[in-house]
Amino acid sequence: MLSYMSPQWFNGYDVVLELLFAVITIIVALFAYRTYKTTNLVYSKYLSLAFMFIGFSYIVQSVINFLILTNLNQSVCGFMKINSIAYFNTIAMYVHMIFFTVCLVLLAYMTFKIEKKVILFLLLALSFIVLFFGSNSLYMFYLLSSIYLMIVSLYFVKNYLKNRKFTTMMIAIAFLFLLFGSIHFLFSVNHQLFYVIGHLLEFVAYVLILINLIMVRKK
Amino acid sequence: MNRKRDRLQIIRDVLLAIQTKGQKVRPTHILYRSNLSSDMLKQYIGDLLEKDFIIEETDKKDNKLYSLTSKGFNYIKDYESIKGFMESYGLD
Repeated sequence: MLSYMSPQWFNGYDVVLELLFAVITIIVALFAYRTYKTTNLVYSKYLSLAFMFIGFSYIVQSVINFLILTNLNQSVCGFMKINSIAYFNTIAMYVHMIFFTVCLVLLAYMTFKIEKKVILFLLLALSFIVLFFGSNSLYMFYLLSSIYLMIVSLYFVKNYLKNRKFTTMMIAIAFLFLLFGSIHFLFSVNHQLFYVIGHLLEFVAYVLILINLIMVRKK
Repeated sequence: MNRKRDRLQIIRDVLLAIQTKGQKVRPTHILYRSNLSSDMLKQYIGDLLEKDFIIEETDKKDNKLYSLTSKGFNYIKDYESIKGFMESYGLD
């Protein structure tokens, strides 16, 4: 799927990292859902859904990269009666992009702190139009991700400035790392090294998110 | 200076007011312990009943009595981590 822009020595590492990202985000999603069930606050539900979608998107990315790495994608294509491997990879890429975009839209919507489903629908519709009808979907995807992450990061930075605690700072830094990672991926369409740096920035971000969860659970 | 209590904190205070007394408590006890106006307390009691945090019963004299459910106990236990999590994501 995305391996064509990954340097050969990094193949395999990306699969493991993406799986790790999926595990972390799904753990956060489950805790956010528990928070929602306890408090009934709708924003917790959006956060939970957002992290669940991001987890699914990484599972898809990791599995597909694994299939490409092990050449199992040819067997899967045969099993699913898909004629072209490229077609299979494209479908997988779109599934990953759709899940990730839904996550970012939900996070951005959560930051608005308004309950108007029409705005959520509008954001999703516009994002999908850009993804499906843009001239370069992958480039558009990272561009969209960067814009959404800017909005979300700004919200978390403001949250830190309002409530200066170590945990709020960690989440703000984590999302800034995700933003820089996404911006790096914008360039990785042509430069393999940026793909690696993007993954490393994401790694730092998700580790911070995990540490934050461990810290609040210990309270 | 005391900060204004947020919603999560008030919910905890109401639940604690019920817990500290023992099994079943009257609304007046909760009112006294939670430091809320009677209108506010009615709203919170309604919310907590809806969320299954507490249950309402009546005694022989038709007085209302409230007690915690397991969900209510869990809220008190998890309050700090829930609050910390919500704070870190700006959801409080």
